[in-house]
Amino acid sequence: MFDLIVRDGLVVDGSGAKAFRGDVAVKDGKIVAVGQVSGDARRIIDAGGRVVAPGFIDPHTHFDVQLLWDGAARPALEHGVTCVVPGNCSLSLAPLKAGDRRQVVGMFQQIEEMPPEAFTQAFEWTWEDFAGYRAAIETGLSINVAPLVGHSVIRLWVMGPAAQQRAATPAEIVAMQDLLRECLAAGAVGLSTSFVDTDENGRPVPSRFAQFEELDALCAVLGEFDRMLQCVPEFYATDITIARIDQLAELSLKYGITTTFSPVFDNAGTPENVPRIMARVEEQFARGAKVWPQMQTRPLDLSFSFLRPSLYFARLPRWSRVLRQAPEIVLHALRDPETVAKMVADAGPDGGDKMLGRLICRGGDAAPAAMVGRTLRDIAAERGQGCAQALIDISLENGLDVAFLDADIGHDNTDRIGPMLAHPLVHIGASDGGAHLASFSTYGDTGYLFSEFVRKGGHMSLEQAVAKITGETADIWGLKDRGRLQAGLAADIVVFDPDTIAREAELPTFDMPGDGMRYVRAATGIDTVLVNGQVAYANGAYTEARSGVVCV
Amino acid sequence: MSLSRQRRFVTPGPDETVEALALRALPDQAVETAVDAIRSWNLHIFAMRKPAGLLLGSDVVFVEPPVS
Repeated sequence: MFDLIVRDGLVVDGSGAKAFRGDVAVKDGKIVAVGQVSGDARRIIDAGGRVVAPGFIDPHTHFDVQLLWDGAARPALEHGVTCVVPGNCSLSLAPLKAGDRRQVVGMFQQIEEMPPEAFTQAFEWTWEDFAGYRAAIETGLSINVAPLVGHSVIRLWVMGPAAQQRAATPAEIVAMQDLLRECLAAGAVGLSTSFVDTDENGRPVPSRFAQFEELDALCAVLGEFDRMLQCVPEFYATDITIARIDQLAELSLKYGITTTFSPVFDNAGTPENVPRIMARVEEQFARGAKVWPQMQTRPLDLSFSFLRPSLYFARLPRWSRVLRQAPEIVLHALRDPETVAKMVADAGPDGGDKMLGRLICRGGDAAPAAMVGRTLRDIAAERGQGCAQALIDISLENGLDVAFLDADIGHDNTDRIGPMLAHPLVHIGASDGGAHLASFSTYGDTGYLFSEFVRKGGHMSLEQAVAKITGETADIWGLKDRGRLQAGLAADIVVFDPDTIAREAELPTFDMPGDGMRYVRAATGIDTVLVNGQVAYANGAYTEARSGVVCV
Repeated sequence: MSLSRQRRFVTPGPDETVEALALRALPDQAVETAVDAIRSWNLHIFAMRKPAGLLLGSDVVFVEPPVS
C-alpha cells in the first residue's frame, strides 16, 4: 500500500528526458515508483491532462526572516517551489550575536529592502549560532530550505566592529574557518559573499573588507564539505564581473567547489554584457572550473512610493537621504523649498524628464484616480510642471501614498533572454524571493519561464525548462536527493497545467508583520504541490502539512 | 580551451595605499603618473564610491585600460 499515487500525468522527470504518460508512487516521504504503477494507495491524485514534475528549486532568496513566521515562504510554495535557498549576498541571520542583531537587521533593510517590523514583531530571537537558527525555522516548515551562511555575519561574529574596518589577522581567519565549519556541520549548504553591498549607513558590508586570502581560506573549508560559494559581483560592470569569474574559477579549481554568481542582466544599453560573461564562463568551464551565472527570467521593473525607502533612488543620493527617513520627516523635508529645489536640480537640467518621465502612476490608497495608469511626463505636462517637481508635489498632496512604476528598466527582450536562459551553462535563479518587498514581486519567475519562454517564445522545451529549475539546480547545489522524479528521492512534486502555468499580475498586499506592504504575484495553473510526500498546497489553498526540512 | 586575454587586475594588500599599489602594479612609472593611471582605470573605486578612493581588501583594481 502506497501513501499516495499521482495518476496518469505527463511525467517530466527533471532530467531533461522526454515526457511520458505515467504515475508516481510515494511512500514515507520518498518516491518509490515512477511509470505504470499498479497497487493501491491511501490517496490518489488524478493528474490527467497535467504535468507531473519535481518541485521547483529557487536558488537565490532572502526568506531568512520570513521563514520564522511563515514556513511556506508564501507565495513561493503555491508557484510550485518546494525548496528555497536563503542566506544569499553575504547576509544570514546566523551566526549572529545578540549584540550584533541591530546591525545585521540594518543591512537586510538597506540591501534587501525589508521593513524593520519584519524583524521585531513576528518572532522571538532565540538563537545565536547556526544550529539555533535552524532549530527556530524547522519547527514550522512546509517548504524545504537549503540555507547559505553569510560571509559578512561570520566576519562580524569573529571581528566585531573591526569587520567593517580592516583585513583579518591570520588568527581571525582561522577563527572564521572554524565558525564556517560549525555552520556547515549544522546544515548550511554553503557560503555567500558580496562585493557590492553597503549597509544602511553607506558603509561597505563586512565581506568587502576581506582580502582574497581570507575568501580563499574559507573556500578551503567549503572544499572539506563539498559545499557551494555564492557571490554578488559588480554586475553593473562587465570587466569587473569577468575578473570575479576568474577569481571564482581559481577557487573552484583549487578546492573542487562549485561557485555561482548573481545577478546577470541583459540590457539594451550594454548588449555585449551577457555574451562576454558567457564567453568567459565557457572558457572557465572548459578548464574544469564550476562558475555558474544565475539569471532571472522576469524583466526588471521597480515600484516605489515616498512612504518607504527605495533602491530606485540609489542614483540620486540626495533623494535617497531624504526619502529613507520616517514619513513625517519626509513630509517636513519636502515642504522645505530649498531642499526641494536641490532635489529637482539633481534630477537633471530637463527637470527630471529623461530620468523620471516614463514612470507610470500605479495607484496607492491616496492616488487620484485620474492619474492611475498615466506617465509622470503626461501628468507633469498637464500640471505645467517638470517631472521631478510634479513627483514631489503629487506625493506631498496625497500623504506620500502614491506609487509609481518604472517598467522599462531592462532584461525585457524575450528574443534575447530566451536563448540566454536556454544556454546549458546558465543557471536559472536570482529571484530574490522574500526581499525588495515594496519594489517588485519576487514571486512567479517559474511560471513566467513556462508562459514566456516555453509557450510563447518556444526557446526551450517543457522538459528543458523543468530540468533547468529542478534536476540541474539540484545537481549544481549538491542536493542529492531532490530535483528528479526517481525512486528513492524525496517526494517533492508539483502537478501543473502546461497550457496555463504562469504568474498573475503584480499586486500590493498587506500581509507582512505590522501590516507591512509587499508586492506579490499569485500563481496560475498550479494544481498540487507535495513536499516530502505530503500535500502542502492543493486546489488553491495551503494545507496544514509541515513536512519541509532543512536539506543539504 | 585556453583563456582569452582579459584586463589585468590586482587586489589591494592590507592597509595598502593607492600610491603603494600603483608602484607595485606599474613599477616602471613615476608614482604620480602611476596613481593617475590607476585612478582613471578604476572609476568604480575613485569616482563612484563614497568616500572616493577607499580601497577595500576585496577590490578588483585594474592595472591597464580596457582591452579593445
